[in-house]
Amino acid sequence: MKEAIEISRPYSAKLFLQTVIARAYPRVVGAQRERSWMFFDVFLPFLSVSAYVFVYRAIGAPETYVGFVVMGGAMIAFWMNILWSMSSQLYWEKEQGNLALYIMAPNSMMAILLGMALGGMVATTLRALAIILIGSLVFNVHFALVSFWALLGTFLLTMVALYGMGMMFSSLFLMLNREAWHLANLAQEPIFLFSGFYFPIKSLGFWVAAGASIIPLSVGMDAMRQLVFPGGSTLGFLDVNIELVILAILSVGFVLGARYLLEKMERLAIREGRLTESRR
Amino acid sequence: MLGRLPTFRIAAWLGWQIESNWTDPFLFAVYSIVKPVAGAAILVVMYGVITGGDFASPLFSYIYLGNAFYIYVGSVMAGISWAVIDDREHYKTLKYIYISPVRVPFYLAGRGVARFLTGTISVLITISAGLLFLNLQLDLGEVDWLMFIGALALGVVMLANLGLLLAGVTLMIAHHFFLIGEAVASALYLFSGAIFPLDVLPDWLRPVGFAMPLTYWLELLRRALIGNVAEAFPTLSNFSSTQLFGILVGLTVIFGLLSILVFRWCDHQARERGLIDMVTNY
Amino acid sequence: MPNDYAIQTQGLNRIYKIRGGKKDEPKQLTALKDVNIQVSKGELFGLLGPNGAGKTTLIKILTTLLAPSSGRAMVAGFDVTTQANEIRPRINMVSGGESSGYGLLTVRENLWMFSQFYGIPSKEANRRIKELLDVVGLGDRINTKSSELSTGLRQKMNIVRGFMTNPEVLFLDEPTLGLDVGAARDVRGFIQNWVKERTEHTVLLTTHHMAEADELCDRVAIINQGRILACDRPSSLKHLLQREAIFRLRVDSINSTDPFDFGKINGVRHFTHQAQEGYTALEFILEEEDVLTAVVNQLASHSIHLQSLEKREPSLEDVFIQLVGRSMEEVEREGSD
Repeated sequence: MKEAIEISRPYSAKLFLQTVIARAYPRVVGAQRERSWMFFDVFLPFLSVSAYVFVYRAIGAPETYVGFVVMGGAMIAFWMNILWSMSSQLYWEKEQGNLALYIMAPNSMMAILLGMALGGMVATTLRALAIILIGSLVFNVHFALVSFWALLGTFLLTMVALYGMGMMFSSLFLMLNREAWHLANLAQEPIFLFSGFYFPIKSLGFWVAAGASIIPLSVGMDAMRQLVFPGGSTLGFLDVNIELVILAILSVGFVLGARYLLEKMERLAIREGRLTESRR
Repeated sequence: MLGRLPTFRIAAWLGWQIESNWTDPFLFAVYSIVKPVAGAAILVVMYGVITGGDFASPLFSYIYLGNAFYIYVGSVMAGISWAVIDDREHYKTLKYIYISPVRVPFYLAGRGVARFLTGTISVLITISAGLLFLNLQLDLGEVDWLMFIGALALGVVMLANLGLLLAGVTLMIAHHFFLIGEAVASALYLFSGAIFPLDVLPDWLRPVGFAMPLTYWLELLRRALIGNVAEAFPTLSNFSSTQLFGILVGLTVIFGLLSILVFRWCDHQARERGLIDMVTNY
Repeated sequence: MPNDYAIQTQGLNRIYKIRGGKKDEPKQLTALKDVNIQVSKGELFGLLGPNGAGKTTLIKILTTLLAPSSGRAMVAGFDVTTQANEIRPRINMVSGGESSGYGLLTVRENLWMFSQFYGIPSKEANRRIKELLDVVGLGDRINTKSSELSTGLRQKMNIVRGFMTNPEVLFLDEPTLGLDVGAARDVRGFIQNWVKERTEHTVLLTTHHMAEADELCDRVAIINQGRILACDRPSSLKHLLQREAIFRLRVDSINSTDPFDFGKINGVRHFTHQAQEGYTALEFILEEEDVLTAVVNQLASHSIHLQSLEKREPSLEDVFIQLVGRSMEEVEREGSD
């Protein structure tokens, strides 16, 4: 007698998990098959980070700032992943014809986006770690870790909020065409500025820094710097605990926002016929 | 074969059509202002935090102008190498370009013209912002325009050669690395003396900077614009402007030859391995 | 609407707004107009029409990718607008010339990924993938990266993707596009067998190849400019022309379209004219056989040599010409002008 095959029920938690794993798979496996990532995703960004280190040395900055730059440079990898491999990714998927197949399948688009996010995060974390390790060794960065678990918790919460924001942007970009690429391009430098990748966000002044705190990386990096660098707390914007609360609120807000916007944008895209059009 | 100039012209027209019609003029204006100003602001904040806002210092003008003109490096190099990814993966027309009687390097160079033009807008906006808001030590009445235009023109040719080299490499890599132009430009930031004098680099790294044509190009632009201020930095003070021009011409020729060789090799490899029409997005 | 049908539409319309464009150009395009079709379970239903007729638009609506402007559509008993979540587990789609999937993944990996979106356990998915790849002749390429496949092989992979979820309703939008003659024949055979073996499973196939529709489909709907012109079994549609006589003439080469006013001969319903190397092919649909005499006399009066003459059975092409007034080729040519 043939064994009964148990197909996961549509829109169930089991199918959600299957979808997440399946969509993460091309990111994790496919990325590693392109071996040049070590050069393009680690070595070149490391050179760029080094340039900012030398700017600080040229203007006589304290060595703590070198550590800031190394960490910021590593975290840029996550922002680039959000911008190019999450937010505007649905545009590429539409171009290739995958988007229509994703929408047609009996799963949640949140699962598809989460799969993309996790797959991207795995690959990006490897790259960020490589940059931090190499940068710390080359530039002799000193760390004063307050608590590993606090750091890990802060990092994970930052990622949840950041990738939640990425998922939200993905749904907005669902409605765009070629503008998607340019808007992603536009968002690069302003976020570099307001996230404080290369300097403490406190330097922007209270109100600007407060406004910038809506970007998960701004407040997340500020908290992480306070937890790992000697004297980090004096250069921090807000107390770490307050920043963690902000991150928690942002996480919930962005994930719920992503869910709401995704449904809304999908309905709008179906009404206007934008799921399969190619307006390049 | 279609001539070099007609190929370049058609490609420049095409590049402009692609770059200029993605949005309405207002959003395009926002994009053109926000991007370069935000980029410059990063360095301004870094500088301001450490020096307490000493924008009258010659070092600030050195950093600011170097960063402003470095915009060309990203836009020209990225503009040319991006055309390979765009045509191959998105429009899927690269194979048709290859089988047509055009000279591919000139086609790619032409595709970079639009980015050069938008890069020029960004450079002008960045410098204007510096003059208006940051007390940039630049007196337009004191500018050596002949040196400036000469250096700029030579620099664009040099950057186009580098762009072609990158375009060759791009023929052999996956869509994942579509920001290769910007990534390489960011990496070269370290060795070009754009945002800090080369003396700051460790001894063993400085020769790399001296071998880069970008170093001499930026120095010539700074001398043309802020003559006395530029010469306050010792790195290239032993070279006269004429000598710098000579070095830049020489390096442009060397890198030009290197670009042609690399492009030809990559082109050959790409045809051998059937990569001209590959689609690799994941 | 009663929901015993696999697919059902009632007064379905779709209008596209045209963005940009010149001032004197139309601002909207009617892709579908008052479309009413009913497809029973177990049917292999064909949608036949030229490029731009509205076939793909109809498929997009039925697969919940596009909302209708007005009217109603039901798939597997559920409304496409309000019950899309009920429809999606029950359908799948394969388009011609598809480039879906990821180039860096192998054939098996790409197909496995899509199987997971439908909740198929990995072991079962891999079993189905292997079985179907063997059937379409792609079994030896299971571990090849999909970027290394030719267009035809890639399309075979896409076809496997559509069938492996065992959908209740399968939409095939020009599935043999890009396939060579042999591969297209294999795929058509596979589709026919698949439907025969699954009496509760339905296939809607769009094509602009008459022979394909004629060979495969239980029923065919002919669509042009967004309207359904006829819908019946191919034999019944052809039967509409049974009273007419269809003749194919080969004459010495003549240059203009209607030099001898064939259209004005009483009893000539329609004719087409095609220049070939060394001769001109004329095809006539006549009210009755006797009209042929007048046609031949007309040729003789202009000293045009008749090389050959044959009578043939009506085809779906002829049905199309009868309904539209022009051949599908002429309609497509006009559309591209």
